[in-house]
Amino acid sequence: MTASAARIPEPAAAPKSGARLLVSTLERLGVEVVFGYPGGAIMPVYDALAGSKLRHILVRHEQAAAFAADAYARRSGKVGVCMATSGPGATNLITGIANAMMDSIPIVCITGNVAQGVMGTDAFQEIDILGVTLPIVKHSILVRDPADVPAAVEEAFHIAASGRPGPVLIDLPKDVQVGQTSEDFGFHIPNAVTPIDHDAIARAAEMIRAAERPLIYVGGGVKIGRATEQLRTFADQTGIPSISTLNALGTIPTDAPGFQGMLGMHGTRAANEAVQEADLLIVFGARFDDRATGKLAEFAPHARVVHFDIDASEIGKLRETHVAVTGEIAPGIEALSAHLSGTPLAIDPWMIRCDTRVRRTAFRYEDAPGEGVYAPALLKAISEAAGDDFVAACDVGQHQMWAAQHCRFAKPEAHITSGGLGAMGFGLPAGIGAKLSDPDATVVVVAGDGGFMMNVQELATLRRYGVAVKVLLLDNSSLGLVRQWQELFFDGNYSEIDLSDNPDFVKVAEAFGVEAFRISRREEVQAGIARLLAADGPCLAHVIIDPRENVWPLVPPGKNNAEMMEGA
Amino acid sequence: MSTETLHLNIDRADGSLQRLIGLVERRGFHIDGMTLSDEGHGRHVELAVRGRDAARCTRTLGRQIDKLFGVTRIDGRPSGQHAGQAAAFHPEVAA
Repeated sequence: MTASAARIPEPAAAPKSGARLLVSTLERLGVEVVFGYPGGAIMPVYDALAGSKLRHILVRHEQAAAFAADAYARRSGKVGVCMATSGPGATNLITGIANAMMDSIPIVCITGNVAQGVMGTDAFQEIDILGVTLPIVKHSILVRDPADVPAAVEEAFHIAASGRPGPVLIDLPKDVQVGQTSEDFGFHIPNAVTPIDHDAIARAAEMIRAAERPLIYVGGGVKIGRATEQLRTFADQTGIPSISTLNALGTIPTDAPGFQGMLGMHGTRAANEAVQEADLLIVFGARFDDRATGKLAEFAPHARVVHFDIDASEIGKLRETHVAVTGEIAPGIEALSAHLSGTPLAIDPWMIRCDTRVRRTAFRYEDAPGEGVYAPALLKAISEAAGDDFVAACDVGQHQMWAAQHCRFAKPEAHITSGGLGAMGFGLPAGIGAKLSDPDATVVVVAGDGGFMMNVQELATLRRYGVAVKVLLLDNSSLGLVRQWQELFFDGNYSEIDLSDNPDFVKVAEAFGVEAFRISRREEVQAGIARLLAADGPCLAHVIIDPRENVWPLVPPGKNNAEMMEGA
Repeated sequence: MSTETLHLNIDRADGSLQRLIGLVERRGFHIDGMTLSDEGHGRHVELAVRGRDAARCTRTLGRQIDKLFGVTRIDGRPSGQHAGQAAAFHPEVAA
């Protein structure tokens, strides 16, 4: 427990088990959905779940529970919750925990463990999950007394959601779950208010006024910090062009004036060239990830940097910062806007240059090669057909980059992707989590054949709960992004990328009880999109695409962002 | 690379020491020396650390340590304060 926290005794109650205290505390915190999978060391918790207000979603693999909780959190803004038993159940959560850590997503992961008396004896299904997960959690708590359960859970929720969010693990030994206590301690951490550093804001405003080529660099911290409206207002009022990281797509609407697109390895030419020309980067909630910067030493070579971030350890970590503003982003942007109001910036030539380049370098769809389905055009079309309620839950690979480049995103919650970890298998469980958090959204899982097979079992979860997720499975019968790199950087030596022995995905989906159909030709695309979006329940469209199609543009490894390769 | 010594207090929660040492090594620092002493409710740690290469910055490491719960730097930072709760840091102005 943190030093600043206080345990608040509540009225004496009848004795309860640690497991029942866990469930009642989750209910008290407003948790509605828990993703999980039972097993021996967490059976008391599952016993207590029966009859509770919590809706438990039984996934078919613990990794999917963590991914679904992650996407639930991204879409809802609430803390996502998952649970698993000890040993293999707990270790199966690990990739999902790491995913949440890399993208700063608030989830609480609850694991059962063997009783404390046998911990350290290599007992059946005993794993030191607290030790195993130390590098990939924001915090973790091993609860040793049933009376500490409520405080531990409340502390975990507070830590997961406060500051820079992240995953918190609660490990509950079996004796703690079954142990009885009449104590029930609440937990209270006073909400700290971060004062705005007006001196730094004033210096930032001064640098912006002096800049000739300023550029807004939007990171995932803006949506996490619920600063989307403030950022959009700032961009509108100043007219400063903007670029986005992968995780921030949708924070500035795709079709907003001045928006240059995503920067980085598969970013747009407009965004990458704007970065290289800018004389000032105004960075909001971004961490200068290597996929975004390319060769760091040559990234934005003419730019000074103003950096707003809630995490002080990101300031100056990779790129020299000239003015740093640490703390909550939303009030920081509001204060910056106030400093700049009433004084139009003299950046018209720069705005015109950026706008002209956006139009000149825009993606073209009408002259796509071949006669097969052109995935970028399909993704653009489905996002436009779904409208403002469109949510893409992406897997990892070429399709993920095409979705980022070509889909229209109107809202920051519309793009759910595994950005930092790049975890294949994320898409389908993420779609489940997103749809359960917002049943009115049109949730489309964008997956490739490689990643889809990593959590294909979750079709059973779709069917069991009737989760009306639409799966757009882009099948090139290969590990496309690896194949592309082998083609470009390994002399065409194709090694272990062939997936041409994939199963018949339509039959697979139907075997799980999920409606499915196939799109093989370009002229079938519009009708296929309409059918997929109109389906009442879960539905899968198996789309055959050209295995030779690549993602363009591409910044080669070790190159700067101006050295983009373009395809034929 | 020169060695610098960090002075820290850590609580007795499971994993606290492991959490601290793991972070220091993961972030690219050698631990050249360590002393651990009992301080009643907690423990005091002195860690002598050295970056693996010139790009490793102890100022950044210190801020990453500040994000750990149950670990407090005692060289100039108020006790019990974490990144999410901290008052605004002084802005840094590069040359």
